[in-house]
Order: sequence, then structure tokens, then C-alpha cells
Amino acid sequence: MLRDVTFGQYYPGNSFVHRMDARIKLVLTLLFMVGIFFVQSFAVFGFVTVFLLAVIFISQVPLRSVLRSVKGIVVLLVLTAVLNVFFAKGATPAEQPLWSWWKIEIYANGLKQAAKIFLRLVYLVIGSSVLTLTTTPVDLTHAVESLLKPLRVIKFPVHEFALIMSLTLSFIPSLIEETDRIIRAQKARGADFDTGGLIKRAKAFVPILIPLLVGGFRRAEELANAMNSRCYEGATKRTCMRVMKLGWRDYVAAFVTVAFFAGIFVLYAMRGSWGGVTWLYF
Amino acid sequence: MSRADKVKAVVTPDVPQNAAIFAQDLNFVYNAKSNFAKQALSHIDLTVNKGEFVAIVGHTGSGKTTFVQHLNALIRVQSGYLNVLGADLSARKPDLKALRRQVGMVFQYPEYQLFADTVLEDVCFGLKNFGVDKDQREQMAQDALQLVGLDFDQIKSKSPFDLSGGEKRRVALAGVLAMKPQILVMDEPTAGLDPQGKAEVLSLVRSLNQQQGVTVLMVSHDMNEVYENADRVVVFRNGEVAFDMPPRQLFRNEAEIEAMNLEVPAMAAFCNELERHGVVLPDSCRTVDEVFAAVKALREVPNA
Repeated sequence: MLRDVTFGQYYPGNSFVHRMDARIKLVLTLLFMVGIFFVQSFAVFGFVTVFLLAVIFISQVPLRSVLRSVKGIVVLLVLTAVLNVFFAKGATPAEQPLWSWWKIEIYANGLKQAAKIFLRLVYLVIGSSVLTLTTTPVDLTHAVESLLKPLRVIKFPVHEFALIMSLTLSFIPSLIEETDRIIRAQKARGADFDTGGLIKRAKAFVPILIPLLVGGFRRAEELANAMNSRCYEGATKRTCMRVMKLGWRDYVAAFVTVAFFAGIFVLYAMRGSWGGVTWLYF
Repeated sequence: MSRADKVKAVVTPDVPQNAAIFAQDLNFVYNAKSNFAKQALSHIDLTVNKGEFVAIVGHTGSGKTTFVQHLNALIRVQSGYLNVLGADLSARKPDLKALRRQVGMVFQYPEYQLFADTVLEDVCFGLKNFGVDKDQREQMAQDALQLVGLDFDQIKSKSPFDLSGGEKRRVALAGVLAMKPQILVMDEPTAGLDPQGKAEVLSLVRSLNQQQGVTVLMVSHDMNEVYENADRVVVFRNGEVAFDMPPRQLFRNEAEIEAMNLEVPAMAAFCNELERHGVVLPDSCRTVDEVFAAVKALREVPNA
């Protein structure tokens, strides 16, 4: 059951997107995440949808795998959007609420805002999972390390930071596996996680959490010993086995993405002055 | 006969009277709908009789762990038929509690599942889940701890995390044995133990099997312990049952065993060598002591 966790799970492949430099992918994903906040209308969301679908198509990752990452947090997203419906006011003071009861008022503008917030969050999650689906955790860590290098000037421990990140990422699958195993072992001893009230269910997790914590510390200690016994020292000059190099794919992808979001920024900056083209601003 | 009865009659095979476990055409595919689909079990037909000691061996990824997890419905039947102690596990809703109480499952490194504040509490965890009352629980826990060779009064209020590795393993074992299961399924119960610890665990399992008639299924990579303890060895290969026969018979096929990357047990190799020189011992002689006694007996009857 825990095997379904997609977040941070690499989907093996050899597509254009897979073969891009992880640093460029990371930067472009960040650009995408910032850019999405400048999208103000459904029409422009349409453009972004096409863009995103194109990237997913090129990456050859099945749409189902990408959407699975949204499935996990869809409740949270819907809740956020629904709350927004209640807090938004009319676009103009003159706008009348569609529906009101006591102090609660719902405006058409509120519904529109909520839908946009929902779309924005969904696209944020999808965008970041395209990155993690096409990039191995190792490459991602190297990319972060490489991008943070300038911070060394202010004595920021870049390498250690990257190490912590890669250790965290590498522990996730093994902890999932261990959790799965402990759950099965306790189920075999008659543990029941699916019935009873809230408190009973919470209590039922103690037999999973404690062995998991104990195991986590055990693994951490073993790893620390293994690193010590190999005389690991972070601060000294270390080299990488695979040196990252930019290729034509990276330039093409960077050019296309930057151009696309430049367009979106222009649309955002010029909102209001394109009065005639109302469909762009719905 | 109604239509529904007819359909049922077709899919439910006859389960032999004495079978503890009966599998017919059992299949299992991991990640069935994705690109990573992997056939873990294909067309498994296997019967284990009550009171038998069966070893399951095979290479990593051959499906043995997947198979044993079916036995108390930790993995549900995808296709095929499986019956454990009369319960039809291919049914939509088998009685899981009753099943899991009767089928004790000892996982690899069972000491990693310990969690309670005291040893007693941990051993009682299963009993509590199965609704045994308090007084009886303590008595059963005491029995189980003594069975695995631990001093109940000395150990019952210790924290399981303060024990040594070998003791932890035994406490975990006691946590399963306390439920007095009729079938004991063990996934590499001796992995990571020292030779003495191994011998102790194996002799415990053997005595449960011989004196209390517990049906034992043991997954193992150690061919020596398989050879000396099991009544029957089932070899899994690529999700299929490649061999299913008594150990002496199986390990006569040295070439085939080695072709599957399994090791020929020392005593089997020795007896095979004797047989090549015309000395044939009874199939029941498998431990060093038994072989020694048999050879000695042959010498005392010259030219028999």
C-alpha cells in the first residue's frame, strides 16, 4: 500500500527531458513555479496546460504516474480552494453576492479565484513531480550542490547541505520498505489498523512507529560508522564521478521555457492595457 | 443445482483431507498495471500436509517470500485457489483474525518488530489482539518465553531494546509462538545468528514439529540446515515450483542444484561421494551423527 507514494520517485526513461542537465531542469522548474503565479486568467492557464502537457508528452512519463502525485494531496488542495470561496469579496464593490447566509457571502469572483488557486496549486505539484520523475535523486542533489556553489563565499557549507539532502532522499525508499515490513509483521500478530475509533486507531500505530524510529536511528548510526571507517571528510576537495555538462537539449529547453514565461510576464505586465482582447483576461 | 452452485463447483477444487496448505494454480503479479509489472508466482501447485516440515529454497526474487505471505493473507490471492487449514483464501472475505492466529509468521529479522516497554507486553501483543484474557495471556507468554529458553521472571519486565541480539530474536519468536499456531511460517529464522544460536532455533522448531505436531514452513538460504531438518524441500525458480521432493533425493542431482546457484550441503556431497563408491546409506541418514552411525554399522557387518 505504501508503494504508491510517487513523490520523489524516479520513472526510468531515456527521453529528451530525462537526458537534460539536472541543473537546467531544476532552474526551469523554479521558473515555472514562479511564473505560474503571474498567470491571472483562464485563457493563460490554457496556454500553461498545453505547455505542461507537451513537456509530459516529451518526457514519455505516463500521465497517470504524473497525476498520482496530485492524488495524494487533492483533499488539501480542494480544502484550500473551498476556503477561498468564503473569504473572497467581489471584484468591484458593486458586485452582488451570488448567495448569502448570515455573514457568509459567496461571489462569482470568489468562485473564479478559488478555481484559479486550485489550478495553480495542482500545476505546482505536477511541475515539480515532472522534475522528480525524470531526474534521479542523485542527479538532483548534484544539481543543488552545483547551483549553491556561489554561497561558499559566505562560508555556507554547500557540500554538507547537499549530503544531508542526498541522505534524506536515499533514506526515504528504505524507510518505506521497512514500514511496509513492520506493518506486515504486526498484522501477522493480529494488529488491526482499520477498525475502531480515532483514539484506538492512533494507538494502533504505536507498534509501527516505535520499531520504525528505532530502526531509523540504527540505520543512521550504521551509516555514520560506515562513512567514518572510510575516512569520509566533507570539506576536503571532492570530485564527481559524473561531471555535468550542458548540451544542445539544455539550450533548446531553456530557450523555449524562458520565451514562454517571458510571454506570460508580458501579458501580466500589460494587463489592463489590452482592453479589447477580453477573452485573454477572463 | 442452481447456476451459482455450478459456477462455484467449477472453481473450488477438492482439498485433500490431511492438507494444511493447498494451493492450486496460484498466480501473483506485482504492479500489475504498470510498466514494472513482474510475475512473482506462476501456476503454483503445492500441498503441505499437517505435521510436515517443509523447507522452501530458491534464489532471491524466485517468489518464495511472496508465496509464504499468501499463507496468512498478508498478500491476497490474485488468481488461483488457496486453502489454509480449511479456510478458502480465494474467497472475497476470509476470516483474517482466525487465520492469522492459526498461522504464525516469523519474518526476516523479527527482532526489528519489537516495540513495547517490556518483554512481557511485547510477547502478549498478539494474544491481546486475538482477544485472550489477561490472566491467560500471562501464562501463555510465560510458556512461550520458556519454550525459547529464556528465564521468564528475569526477563519479563526488561525493555526489549536492552537485550542482546540473540535474546531479541528469541523474544520476537516467543511473540509468535505464544499464540500456539498450528502452522509456523518462518522466513530465514536463523539469518544473522551465530552457530550456537542457529542450532538452538532449529532444535526448537524441530521439537515443535515433532512433539506438538506443528506444521512448519521454513524459507532458508542455508542448504545444510534445510538438508538436515526438512522432510521435504520445495525449490522455487522464477516464480515456479522447480522441484518438490525429500532432501536426500533432491541433493543427489548435484549438477542441477549447482545450475540453480544453490549449494550442495556438505553431508549430501559426502553421501553422494559414498554412493559413487558403492556405499549406499538409508535416505533418512542426513546429519553427521546419523551418517557416522550408519557407516559404523556397515563396518561391523563385514561384506554384508
